[in-house]
Amino acid sequence: MANQEAGENPIKSEGDIVTCRKLIRNAAVAAGFGMTDVTRIVTAVSELARNVYVHSGSDGVMRWEILHQPGQIGIHLEFEDYGKGIPDVDQAMEVGFTTAGTMGMGLSGVKRLMDDINIKSEVGVGTTITVEKWGRAK
Amino acid sequence: MDGENSLSVIKLKNILLVTVPDDPGDDIIHELQTKVLHAIEKYQSKGLILDISSVNILDSFFARTISETTQMVALMGGKTVIAGMQPSVAITATELGLHLGKAISTLDVDRALDIFTDNFKLV
Amino acid sequence: MNHSHSNSKYISNFNSWAEQKRFVNFTDEDAALLQKLHPFAVDYADVFVEKLYEHLQKFPDTKRFLGDEKMLMRLKLAQKAYFMDLTSGDYGEGYFKSRIKVGIAHQRIGLPPRIYMSTYCYYMQLMIPQIYSNPTFDVETANGIFSALHKIINLDQELAISAYIHATDEVISRQTEEILEMSTPVIQIWEGVVAAPIIGMLDSGRTQQFMERLLETIVQTNSPVALIDITGVPQIDTATAQHLIDTINAVKLLGSQVIITGVRPVIAQTLVHLGIDLSGIITRPTMALGLKVALDKLSIKVVDVSKE
Ligand SMILES: Nc1ncnc2c1ncn2[C@@H]1O[C@H](COP(=O)(O)OP(=O)(O)O)[C@@H](O)[C@H]1O
Ligand SMILES: [Mg+2]
Repeated sequence: MANQEAGENPIKSEGDIVTCRKLIRNAAVAAGFGMTDVTRIVTAVSELARNVYVHSGSDGVMRWEILHQPGQIGIHLEFEDYGKGIPDVDQAMEVGFTTAGTMGMGLSGVKRLMDDINIKSEVGVGTTITVEKWGRAK
Repeated sequence: MDGENSLSVIKLKNILLVTVPDDPGDDIIHELQTKVLHAIEKYQSKGLILDISSVNILDSFFARTISETTQMVALMGGKTVIAGMQPSVAITATELGLHLGKAISTLDVDRALDIFTDNFKLV
Repeated sequence: MNHSHSNSKYISNFNSWAEQKRFVNFTDEDAALLQKLHPFAVDYADVFVEKLYEHLQKFPDTKRFLGDEKMLMRLKLAQKAYFMDLTSGDYGEGYFKSRIKVGIAHQRIGLPPRIYMSTYCYYMQLMIPQIYSNPTFDVETANGIFSALHKIINLDQELAISAYIHATDEVISRQTEEILEMSTPVIQIWEGVVAAPIIGMLDSGRTQQFMERLLETIVQTNSPVALIDITGVPQIDTATAQHLIDTINAVKLLGSQVIITGVRPVIAQTLVHLGIDLSGIITRPTMALGLKVALDKLSIKVVDVSKE
């Protein structure tokens, strides 16, 4: 049976964070990522899905896709919300910056765990964060 | 709640052994803190062992709870030991820049028990 | 606001192929012209494939790739489909992917690129007279078809050769990685002690795989102490030192402790000049002295029985 290579999941409740993690763990393992990369990817998912749930003040959605290139496998993830937005993205990326009294390690950490991060945000409209990770195909 | 995805808290003499499931949700992590503190109070435990050998994800939320709980347990006179972290989790946590505060780590629960029974050679 | 932070290791190829099409000036008109040739190419396909394989049989160099009767049948069918695709008129992502696959497959079976290239040359030799002798094409159309065919073949070859080179690069980098792995062994040297001598510079790719192997070995052997020997590290810079510190921190999270050994004078000088603080970490000048510390920590005493 062919593995599912793309999909989406809503982020509306706390429980959706775990659902997103499980979904992406299965997809990344099936795609052939190594154990450490799977953990990096799932951890990034957890940070970004939680940010939607905690910070955006609105519902959101996670979309994902497995990518193939000769000799390489990749995963592309997108987190979109329709919430309050991030006024200063550079500041939000700083280690330790938080508006919620938490660790402020999410965005800066995700940048280190993934190969690519792209943040589009408009105050009062919402935030879209995409990340990508590549690994050697088995 | 099914056993596989819930927290188990066991009292061993004056120590508390808490086993965390592989992919703990926020509810379980919240529960961890309150359950642990109540049990420490009830049993007057001198120590807490968090067995995380099944855990395959540790994000900043979980790390913060561990670090806070360690501090709270210390205020109540106890010592916290994190046992059995998986290599991929340790690498990811380091890259993410996480720290677990004053919690000590050991390779497994046996070695954590050694710490409390003074057989431990590496303190 | 749009912020992009990229350290992507891979650049998408399909986009660069669209660029390549523009570069050789392959237009929709070319696609339409090739489609005009298509019905004739389909009619001629069987004859062409027969002639081609007859030709290939003549050379020992190519003959060895052809295999037995069954295999030959399959090859002919695939070849026929391949050449029919050439004039299908659809040169989108499906076409792109199939050409890449061919390059990778050729690399895998060890078919030299020159044979692939020459096959196209042979194809052209057979096709050109077909185009110019076709009564439905006037000279201008025939010229157009000839030019379009030339372009698409060039594009095909560029793709297959790129994929071929890429696949070869993959083999080389995999081998390099294997050599690196061998050059940084992680071994249990005592019950409870693993040792990892690092030879050469530590870059981030190498550190990542080293870190994984070190941590896995620590867990597998249940070792509370890990000796990392840096005698063989020629120079240390801020990035390398940071990698080392990351490794030490990750090991600590597992519940094991790192002892750095083999800190030569030049390395000690650099570390201090760079302002890198290793004060919380046990360091020893040699692996032997490091092992002594490890055994002390494990309360293991080694005695010289001859002196008892
Ligand atoms: N989806 C989002 N919508 C609105 N604000 C966000 C979003 N994601 C992150 N932020 C902002 O960026 C800050 C930093 O996020 P992060 O690095 O994950 O740390 P933390 O979640 O601990 O605050 C947050 O405190 C918040 O102000
Ligand atoms: Mg966050």
